[in-house]
Amino acid sequence: MKIALMGNPNVGKSTVFNVLTGSNQQVGNWAGKTVERKSGIIHRANEEIELIDLPGTYSLTAYSQEEIVTREYILREKPDVVMAMVDASNIERNLYLVLQILELAPRVVIGLNMMDLAKTAGITIHSNKLALALNVPVVEITAAKGQGIEEFLAEAIRVGKLKKDPIADDVPYPEELENRIQAMERLLSDTIWATKYPLRWLAIKRLEQDPEIGQTWKSIPQTNQRNRSTDPCCDPGDPVKYELQESVSLPGEALLQAYEAEGWNKDHFEMAVADAKYKYISKILPEFRVNENPVKRTWTDKLDEWILSPFWGYPIMVIILSLVFWFSFVASAPLGGAVSEAMAWAADVIVVIMQWGQMPEVIQSLVRDGIFAGVGAVLAFVPQIAIFFAFFSLMQDSGYLARAAFLGDRFMQLMGLHGKSFFSLVSGFGCNVPGIMATRTLEDPKDRLITMLINPLIPCVPRLGVMSAVVAAFFPGSRGAFIMVSLLLLSMLLVMFSALFLRRVVRQKERSAFVMELPLYHVPTIRNVLLPTWQKTYSFLKRAWTFILVASIVVWVLSSYPQGVPMNETWAGKMGGWLAFIGQPLGFDWRIMVAIVFGFTAKETTLSTLGILYGVAADASQSIAQAMTGAMTPLGAYTFLVVYMLYIPCLASVVTTYKESRSLGWTSFGVAYNLILSFIIGWLIFHGGQLFGFQ
Amino acid sequence: MDRFLQDLKPGERARVERIEGGGALRRRMMDMGIVPGVELEVVRCAPLGGPLQIRLKGYYLAMRRGECARIMVCAPNREYSEPSLASR
Ligand SMILES: Nc1nc2c(ncn2[C@@H]2O[C@H](COP(=O)(O)OP(=O)(O)OP(=O)(O)O)[C@@H](O)[C@H]2O)c(=O)[nH]1
Ligand SMILES: [Mg+2]
Repeated sequence: MKIALMGNPNVGKSTVFNVLTGSNQQVGNWAGKTVERKSGIIHRANEEIELIDLPGTYSLTAYSQEEIVTREYILREKPDVVMAMVDASNIERNLYLVLQILELAPRVVIGLNMMDLAKTAGITIHSNKLALALNVPVVEITAAKGQGIEEFLAEAIRVGKLKKDPIADDVPYPEELENRIQAMERLLSDTIWATKYPLRWLAIKRLEQDPEIGQTWKSIPQTNQRNRSTDPCCDPGDPVKYELQESVSLPGEALLQAYEAEGWNKDHFEMAVADAKYKYISKILPEFRVNENPVKRTWTDKLDEWILSPFWGYPIMVIILSLVFWFSFVASAPLGGAVSEAMAWAADVIVVIMQWGQMPEVIQSLVRDGIFAGVGAVLAFVPQIAIFFAFFSLMQDSGYLARAAFLGDRFMQLMGLHGKSFFSLVSGFGCNVPGIMATRTLEDPKDRLITMLINPLIPCVPRLGVMSAVVAAFFPGSRGAFIMVSLLLLSMLLVMFSALFLRRVVRQKERSAFVMELPLYHVPTIRNVLLPTWQKTYSFLKRAWTFILVASIVVWVLSSYPQGVPMNETWAGKMGGWLAFIGQPLGFDWRIMVAIVFGFTAKETTLSTLGILYGVAADASQSIAQAMTGAMTPLGAYTFLVVYMLYIPCLASVVTTYKESRSLGWTSFGVAYNLILSFIIGWLIFHGGQLFGFQ
Repeated sequence: MDRFLQDLKPGERARVERIEGGGALRRRMMDMGIVPGVELEVVRCAPLGGPLQIRLKGYYLAMRRGECARIMVCAPNREYSEPSLASR
């Protein structure tokens, strides 16, 4: 049995999906987190169920990429049952989509979520009366607390097993519309299409001249779809591609033309249908909803008084963001230091054991100078990653992120960016891959492309981790925080500049609308904060002992052979030698060039590579960054930091850009843009700094 | 007197009369519940010409001024005649 979770954005679909399947779909309090379908298999009552989590959508007439995913799924795959989720605190607008679903899908169960929020807002909903009004089963749930989820699923299974399709009540349309729908129904009732879709839905869509009516699509089997090794830090979902099988024109062309002559064109039909649905909702609403005190000020109102205040809003935002960065990258330094020391100590102990066991010198060197120097360097910033993610989850699960988008929108506008680009850019701090995928919520392909291309300029946490490790070594004390902030500001500045620049490169005519829901604040749940934090940290750790371990061994081999020659005569040294001409204008030596090249695969390897090449473990009490201080001036280090921050994030982000833009040209453009920009800015800083006499 | 949503002051309420401009914008608004006849309130405006926070149907929405300038509104208490279904 195939059961799909559908509903408006931010109603808790992924929360339910995670509870039922044990997955870790991204959850947070803003609209548009899930952008790709995701399926999971569960077993209940001797039944194998494929549960599908879909991106949220406001209607089935879809425009943006993630809504198209949902629409395609529901139209082309036809799930056996739809679990339609509704936000009880915002039921009026939510029911609009439910009415659309009821017209299309025969078996529907409504899940009335966020019952707790509705209650605190003074809204009572009588679910049995709602069920009566629409003639559809309704289950009350509070997904965040895990209440009612099993009942919701059980009800869906029950409906799925019914012998005959249940019949929900039709939306009453005004007479002039109803007559036209019926006329169209008569024309369509004999076609084979009427066996595939509900007749009424088909007739309405025909009147609205929906392009998909009359088309048959087939999904293209995905070849080795499970191959996800390219993006280890995030789950890209289960995308499906379709192929057009055939396209026929349905009867009724003459009728449509006659209606058009009467002034009933497709826009008019759309408007009339929507209007009738909203009217119907307003009419039945009093039957099941009691709003005790509609003017009662909720927590959200009280908090927004300050947080969105024209006067206090920005200072509060600056304080919150500074605290997050301070805790993650400054206050966490002792923790990172402790990890490095522990690693150095462990390396010592193991080397002693190996010496005692008379292991060959080569193996000892591999363990000490390869594995511990490389992987250990990367592990040192695990605390940063964990702390940053905890705060990030807190901000997104509370609903603050949506507020930040509201306040930041003015700046997005100055950059010529769409308001929703904000979420893509902010997600980029976590990892650029989901950041790039988040651009799907942008309707306009040009807006989308621009946001996709500037996303890599946002430093992701692993990058910030490496940067803060280097900063801590070269600029101890409060100077470090200052340097870190300057780097972040530089990245913001370049995002702004690039957006304006790309707006000239990518020609664009019309701007799409920015309408964003501001959700009620939620008390973040421990699960939603700690679980993603743990998962990110874990996936990072996993990378450390798989990918980075391999990279470390490769670098160690390259830098140790041929044996017995000085470092710059080894393979790595030669490779660095060829690249030195690029590094020279920036004051980089060959080691940094090698590290930068390895950084293309994943940015953390830059630090492990440097750790090996600077041969820290020879004196295990030192951290890599400290070893680098001997070899570089602070100005050189700053230049390195800037170049490091700006050149492409990792292979996975490039692959994602290609998948999302479906254009090799723009992907190459993006890579070239990043490389050239990082070189130019690095050069300016290095030479500008020398000019002003900085060291 | 007809005005545009953009001209309302924080705290003012109004009723949607018509949405100018067609296509995607109008549909997007329709999906969010902004249809002729609906009552809404401007809660606050972000400073420096930022977006407006609007309340309708019991939820909050942020909308840029550019979009608000296309929504024609009238006083909320004015007797509401059948929407003119102004489709273009
Ligand atoms: N108070 C409360 N919050 C809930 C409840 N269910 C879910 N949430 C929260 O609502 C927010 C949205 O949940 P998601 O599961 O991400 O919503 P979604 O429907 O998947 O959203 P999109 O993927 O953006 O369409 C999260 O912050 C959840 O923690 C509930 O019953 N009560
Ligand atoms: Mg979701």
